[in-house]
Amino acid sequence: MSVVRKAAGRRIFLAACGFLLFVCLLGAGDSPNPRAKTYIKKLKNGHYQLIVDKKPYIVKGACYSPIPIGQNHEYDWWSDPNKPWIADGKLMKEMGLNTIRIYQPGENPEAVKRVLKDLYELYGIRVIMGHWLGFWEYPCPFYGDRFFQDKIKKEVFEMVELYKDEPGILFWSLGNENNYSCLRDVNIWPSEEVDKEPDPQKQKAIRARIYYSFINELTKQIHQIDPNHPVALGNGELVGLDFAKDYAPDIDLVACIIYRGKTFGNLFNSLKATFDRPIVLAEFGADAYDSYLQKEDQNMQAFFLESQWRQIYENLANSKAGAGNCLGGTMFEWTDEWWKHDENNPDSWKAHDTGAGWSNGSYYFDIKAEGNKNMNEEWFGIVSLSEELENGLNKRLPRKAYYVLREFWSKPALNNTKKRVKK
Amino acid sequence: MRALKISLIFIFAIASALYAQDENKLADLSRQIIEAKTSAEFYGPFEELKEEYFSRSAIQSEGGIPQDAGKDNKYSDFIDFLKSLSAKKDIAGPFINYYIALTRYNQLKSLEEKQLWDEYFSKGNDYRDELARLSQKAIDATMADDALNIYSRLLLWQFHKDQQDSSSEGALQGLMNSLLEYSKAANDVKLIKEAADKLYSYAEKGKAKELYKIYVDKIISSEIKDEALLVSASGFYKEGNLDLSETLYDVYIDRLAKSGGKEKLLPVLKELAKDFSYKDQGFNDPAYAEKLFKRMEEDAGSDVFDEELMYMRAFNLEKSKEYPKAKEAYLDLLKRYPGAQYADEANFKAAVIYTYILRDIKNARPIFEALAQKEGIPPQALSSLYQLGLVSQWENDFVKAKEYYNKLLEKAGASFAQTTAMVKERLKEIEESRPMEYNLRVFLDLSLKEENKEFDMTKIALSASPYESNKEKTVNITSTVYTTTSGCMEIQLQYLWSEDLGAKQPIPLALPAFDTTYADKGTKIIGLVVVSPSGVVDRSMVMVDVN
Repeated sequence: MSVVRKAAGRRIFLAACGFLLFVCLLGAGDSPNPRAKTYIKKLKNGHYQLIVDKKPYIVKGACYSPIPIGQNHEYDWWSDPNKPWIADGKLMKEMGLNTIRIYQPGENPEAVKRVLKDLYELYGIRVIMGHWLGFWEYPCPFYGDRFFQDKIKKEVFEMVELYKDEPGILFWSLGNENNYSCLRDVNIWPSEEVDKEPDPQKQKAIRARIYYSFINELTKQIHQIDPNHPVALGNGELVGLDFAKDYAPDIDLVACIIYRGKTFGNLFNSLKATFDRPIVLAEFGADAYDSYLQKEDQNMQAFFLESQWRQIYENLANSKAGAGNCLGGTMFEWTDEWWKHDENNPDSWKAHDTGAGWSNGSYYFDIKAEGNKNMNEEWFGIVSLSEELENGLNKRLPRKAYYVLREFWSKPALNNTKKRVKK
Repeated sequence: MRALKISLIFIFAIASALYAQDENKLADLSRQIIEAKTSAEFYGPFEELKEEYFSRSAIQSEGGIPQDAGKDNKYSDFIDFLKSLSAKKDIAGPFINYYIALTRYNQLKSLEEKQLWDEYFSKGNDYRDELARLSQKAIDATMADDALNIYSRLLLWQFHKDQQDSSSEGALQGLMNSLLEYSKAANDVKLIKEAADKLYSYAEKGKAKELYKIYVDKIISSEIKDEALLVSASGFYKEGNLDLSETLYDVYIDRLAKSGGKEKLLPVLKELAKDFSYKDQGFNDPAYAEKLFKRMEEDAGSDVFDEELMYMRAFNLEKSKEYPKAKEAYLDLLKRYPGAQYADEANFKAAVIYTYILRDIKNARPIFEALAQKEGIPPQALSSLYQLGLVSQWENDFVKAKEYYNKLLEKAGASFAQTTAMVKERLKEIEESRPMEYNLRVFLDLSLKEENKEFDMTKIALSASPYESNKEKTVNITSTVYTTTSGCMEIQLQYLWSEDLGAKQPIPLALPAFDTTYADKGTKIIGLVVVSPSGVVDRSMVMVDVN
């Protein structure tokens, strides 16, 4: 081999090394599927980022269920000829909102696709597409039953197949607070294995194993069908995530439902210690009705929401002091829903009920209401609904929170004594 | 009209005089700051300035001079004033920064409390930013042995803690590190206590205790005299700072044990045990009281306890829910003082604890029987007859049950209307061959059957207020069930109340608490079973004494 050829070989070798180094640097951090359209990137410092179209994406969202006055949750708004998502999408975009969370798609795939397309193409709004996983099926969700599991699997996989190529899909979200059926006393279900166990604590552990194993089966199959979108576990608080760690390791992120008042407390660090996955606050917020003074209080709602969003931003990737495992949130909710308080009485769907359904001391302004019930389910909207119609829809009236958050999202102020986080 | 005019002129003159006086005071304080040579000279005038400035606003308002207090301008005005000082005195910078930050902190609190939302939303972020930035500047400009450094760190931590944000942990660590440094050098330990109090009030009890310990060590090493130590301990007790008070009392007790011997020590222990024992009103710490009782016993034997003290110890144990120990204490009292003033109550409570806590009817029965034989109509005799009847009815020995119930009715005659009403209800159940009232039956099943041992009263906190009441006085019964959160899907719990519920009957299933009154004297038993959709959560019981 001549000297010249040796030198050329060395140059080729060095160039190859350089190229390899470049590739390594590009892939710095742990990215499970960097070719995917949407994926989660684990940074070197252990923080997480949601990457969408090669760019970090902060979920600035709201839960979306635009039920008109006088209707209830069975109303098929996807097929509403007045297209509520068009009016809402415009307002959302003006506010700075980039994501909505939907609990489950409608029955008509064409209608669903049209909504996804309209929101994405007109306003750039993406959708976290959820599935209830049969949580509200009568008499209870039989997660220990193979037939029930197969039925849910079929529904979920069909959903993924149908919408995976829609550009507006952000990620999939499985369940909502279904973990409470295993570990709390909500919609509890029997199974042969559970019924044989007399110890209530062990019964809970069995249910949790069954449920989270089922979640993992769903997740693995969704990853096969659609490698382009992550899969989230919808979970009430952090309850049961110690089980999820063992039985649902394929989950990409958790989507938690958290109502802790002004902030989320130690949530982000607790999650890191329990089940090291990124989190989207899938449901949080505050209502705009003061149950104690018996009047609407938009400021109270705005106060809580601004504070909650501040903490979400403090825990995004590369934050100074935060856990760095937060990807954003979808607050509850975009519009008021007038059917919720007395849901079995159609007459009450036409009235904006002021009765509170549950109590939460963290929302302290009106906790002295009768029986300490201060959470008004019909008043959580960032926009309220008017009985006056506009283009066939109940007119949308943005509440104070709309403007306060619009301002916050444009200039997030974290007051952490160092430089502010850019959008 | 003329009189009114004169009055107005007079008020205005007084207000003007006060205002002028205050202006002079402010000018004087400003001059002190400007003329100060060392940072130590700043503390007094700045603190006085703050007090002066804010009290001045109050005087203005009371004096009738128009003031837009609703907008809380006093905060911004004070900050402007501080900033004007900053231009005149460079080295006062850290103080000025700290006081501006402190003012912003109070301003934000005030805006939230008064719900002055317009300013809160439009300026809140700027205020927060200024607060965080300037307190950090004050920290950066001072060393840990400087009190201003500690005050600034305390403020910054409080701010982050209030917001529950991610910086609060780091701020707390910084504060603790600085406090440890400060405590090594400083002679003035008041600041350490001040910081400990603040941490305690924010439920940072572990850290607060660390600081209290440093504070106490400092006090002790300063060779404080016994008398002064006692005054300090008593002062903290009166403040409600029981942890600190107990720590100082412990030091005092140890000193006394070494120097004065038992003769001096025992009366002190006795008085302290009384102070800390359970009582319906005032500060108390039953666990500390029991520690003192134990020490008395160890140092001087059980003979040192008189009747009153023995009863107090048993009652204290009962109220701290140390039931087996309480039972032993009641029995000890009876052994030593069979004719004690509280003998009936002690006997009855010992039997109740045997029955409902220890599931030991065998040992309870002879006590109830003995009480039931008592002459006259002492309330505990009637209650014992009722309990004997109840247990017999639960055991399906209806003949025996009727016997006890009838004896009770005979003994009570026209008195004890609430007790006799319960008995008549039980007798009706037997006569009509009906099962016992559901709530009561469930409570007895869970409390008496050995197989239900898992329901050990640990998942429900049941309490009465007051525990010692009088006839026809309101008693509040409250239960808290230890369940974890379930978001907006609240678990529907059912509360099965039973036994002596007084005038308030029946109690709705959904009620975790209720107010009632008792018409009869005696020891009342309140039973509770809590049921969730997945089954029984737990059961519990308390006793209320009606005098």
